[in-house]
Amino acid sequence: MAPTNAHLWGDLADDEAAAALLGSAMSTIDSRVEYGDARLVEAEELRLYHQLDRDPDERLEKSVGIGVRVLVDGSWGFAAAPLSDAAVPAAIAERAIAVARAGVGAGPRVVFPPRPAASGRYQTEVGQDPFAVTTAERDALLAQAIEAAAASRGVSSVTAGVNAKRQHRHFASTEGSLQHQHLIETGGGLTAIAASEREVQRRSYPNSFHGNTGGSGWEFVLGLDLVGNGARVGEEAVALLSAPMAPAGVNDLVIGAQQVSLQIHESSGHALELDRILGDERNFAGTSFIQASDVGTLRYGSPAVSITSDPTVAGTRGSFGWDDEGTPARRAGLIEEGIFRRTLSNRDSAARSGLEITGAARADGWAYLPVCFSTHVFLEPGAGSLAELLDRLGDGYYIEDNRSWSIDNRRLNFQFGTEVAYEVRRGRKGRLLRNFSYGGITPQFWNSVEAVAGPEEFQTFGYPCGKGEPKQWGFLSHGAAPLLARAIRTGVA
Amino acid sequence: MQPPLDGARTMEALDAALRSTAADEFEIAVLARSGEYTRFAGQVIHQPQDIVEVQYLVRALVNGHPYRVATSTAADLDRAVAAAATGARIRAELSKEAGQVRLAVIDAAATAAGTGTGTGADVGAGSPPSRPVAADPAKPQAPYWYRDTEAYDVAARSALAKEAMATALAAGGEAAGMFGRAVTQQLVATSAGIRRQIAATEASGALTVTIDDGTAHWVDLSRSAGRLDVAGSVARAVNQARAGRGRVELPAGRYPVVLGAEAVGELLGFLPDVGFTGTLAAAGIGITAQAGQLLAAPLVNVADDAGADVGLPIGFDIEGVTKRRVDFFRHGLVGAAVTDLATAAALGRPSTGHAHIAREQVPEPTAPNIVMPAGPGTEDELIAQLEHGVYLQRFWYTRLVDRITGTITGVTRDACFLIESGRLTTPLNGLRFTESVLGVLAGVEAIGADVRSQPIPNVWNGAISAPSVRVAAFRLGAAPIEPAA
Repeated sequence: MAPTNAHLWGDLADDEAAAALLGSAMSTIDSRVEYGDARLVEAEELRLYHQLDRDPDERLEKSVGIGVRVLVDGSWGFAAAPLSDAAVPAAIAERAIAVARAGVGAGPRVVFPPRPAASGRYQTEVGQDPFAVTTAERDALLAQAIEAAAASRGVSSVTAGVNAKRQHRHFASTEGSLQHQHLIETGGGLTAIAASEREVQRRSYPNSFHGNTGGSGWEFVLGLDLVGNGARVGEEAVALLSAPMAPAGVNDLVIGAQQVSLQIHESSGHALELDRILGDERNFAGTSFIQASDVGTLRYGSPAVSITSDPTVAGTRGSFGWDDEGTPARRAGLIEEGIFRRTLSNRDSAARSGLEITGAARADGWAYLPVCFSTHVFLEPGAGSLAELLDRLGDGYYIEDNRSWSIDNRRLNFQFGTEVAYEVRRGRKGRLLRNFSYGGITPQFWNSVEAVAGPEEFQTFGYPCGKGEPKQWGFLSHGAAPLLARAIRTGVA
Repeated sequence: MQPPLDGARTMEALDAALRSTAADEFEIAVLARSGEYTRFAGQVIHQPQDIVEVQYLVRALVNGHPYRVATSTAADLDRAVAAAATGARIRAELSKEAGQVRLAVIDAAATAAGTGTGTGADVGAGSPPSRPVAADPAKPQAPYWYRDTEAYDVAARSALAKEAMATALAAGGEAAGMFGRAVTQQLVATSAGIRRQIAATEASGALTVTIDDGTAHWVDLSRSAGRLDVAGSVARAVNQARAGRGRVELPAGRYPVVLGAEAVGELLGFLPDVGFTGTLAAAGIGITAQAGQLLAAPLVNVADDAGADVGLPIGFDIEGVTKRRVDFFRHGLVGAAVTDLATAAALGRPSTGHAHIAREQVPEPTAPNIVMPAGPGTEDELIAQLEHGVYLQRFWYTRLVDRITGTITGVTRDACFLIESGRLTTPLNGLRFTESVLGVLAGVEAIGADVRSQPIPNVWNGAISAPSVRVAAFRLGAAPIEPAA
């Protein structure tokens, strides 16, 4: 596949030049380690924020560096540094070996089964290069969005932003893999806050958590209609100030796609990370209520619930050609008709547990070790429109857009709040309600799912996420259509 | 153990870059960190890491319009300066009016008093000494530089990790955690003549011990490794986890509690969110509208304090402004917000020196070294003061629910116990809670002496330091709230 212009930037667009730098690291470690890999990453990120009554703030952040991971005498070592000159790859490789040697003898030898090399090139397909969009066009879009959101009397604060990131990610391993990935992602979003003396209410679009970002070009931002939706969320933020309080009790819910995507992230994605299941993350991120031995037997959800990991789906923040230890992207059913089938795994955790590798080793740039993160993990759609789902609900509540989220360290006991809720009577949306919250236990919740709306209601949301020590960021995506869940505890906060 | 950058040479590079005339003004902040981490779980050091990260953050200003460009290598600095100038010039040309942004100016009087923006006078402060100068490794050889942290090397940390795993195994359980050290470097140079730089050591430890269903946690960090007491903390965590076996459910309700230092720190981390930032104060949102009112118990003092000898203090921010101590609560009275240059200007005040840019977020002032001073009693003494109550070691996944009331939700985690007749007795399962941070601070009845520090996620050199406290009442359990009338 020939590179498009959007990928012709920076110092590492040239795969052969990058391969030479990786070769320097590989030749340093080749005969001295049981296994080793190197990731050479050049990334540039643009962020522009407009705020009500403030000057725009724009920044362009570039980073280039290399991370080398080695296995020496059964012990792992990792080192990383910026690529300040051509001598860095070899020096970092030496450092990684030294780090590994310090841990030799601390416990049982790490066993890392070998596998055949996999090489090639992958790139994001881009319509319009977001870095080629003029400042004037970006400014005009956000200024209009701010104006639209602030038009409602009572809106006290509005922030609107667009972001774009481009990356050259090159990987080599001592098994002979040589992979070149050229990625682009683009996103945007806005938040309006309305405040009174006794109340502060926030409305966001398209996602309350860092907007929405896709593996795509500027066309992704244009498709968001930030201006039209800015006006809507501004009005809703003000309306929430005087809306009735959402009720406490046990209720039937239709949960909108954005909130379902966060439910997937917290109670499915994290719960299915195999390193977490095996205890590697227990000191910080926690463990999981799921055990490796539950594969094939645990009824995680109702038959309406199927959750899939598929980074081969183009255009998402979780799309890639290979994960960050070189495993080819693949589709993997994690939950199939409610039954737990697979985990989000990497090579090391799969080797220790005897489970299959699903290609979920993800690392933030060059500076951090790959750990198990979600890829593009989504709830398979069912059938029918949102209107049909509300009709099936009958009496209950339609809720959307996350306001707060919390879940325990086993990913079992959760509590979420949403920005908006609507009373639903006989299948029709009625009053707007404020401060809706619901809580429950993960498998009980997913087993209460009666139906999922169809592909026409399916949406994908890109997320940042944190994990590991030192904490690193993961970038991933979740897709969902609205779902209908029965007998959910509400009004818990 | 060396800083990732040569401070003198880097400052020379900044000087050279600042000779550019492509923009009206320039500010360059350099944030560099060389970290070493020994991460372990079960019986294996599974993720030993050695990471160097560097960011040169250039801000150019043309007619009051800013543009920032960052890069990770000195070789790319000139390009970054030129790109920032181009960006600022485009912004100025697009605007019909002068922009509002101003960079820091040198305030000699304030600098002398230790409260203002610095000049070249403090160049070199905090750099590691070129030769051994002090016999006591627990005392700083320069501001923020501790030789005992130099000794907390990979061999020492690996030995401690092995000992922790072996101790937990001998008790029938497992240990997981991370011991680390780092050198943080921060430099700021501006075309107005500000020159600041610091190099600081950092040591950290965190550990979870699991024995059957009993777990216990410890975390601490400091500029000085000698203050961590890793070995003692491992032993305490093993004992707590052993005592924590056989957990039971606690009925939902309101209980008198002793909150461990880590739980208190987690709560204090929400103070910026309830209004102690210039962003919220300038928008008229949050608690600082009630400045001077008694909203916490009179014995509660909380501040962001770069002068404190705990946490991860750094004396100036990325705009080159000296950090002032900002009281959030002083004897229970509501204080003020931390500001950067932009929000300070909006509020008509001088900046408190708390400029910050978090990844993926709008630049806004942040409180990076929140400190609640120690009280007179030990944690055991606080527990002994309760006839009946609950001890909560740690909270987890806490999130803001209501900014006005300071209500958060989260779950309790690790070593939590019933308190009966002044002693820890029955271990408790983790429990969801929804409670007001402000309500908790209003109910503080006693403060412990055991200050510990924990990191603030996504905040450069961010730490919260707090002691344990005894609180009159804390609501535990997901009891439904009453709908509004």
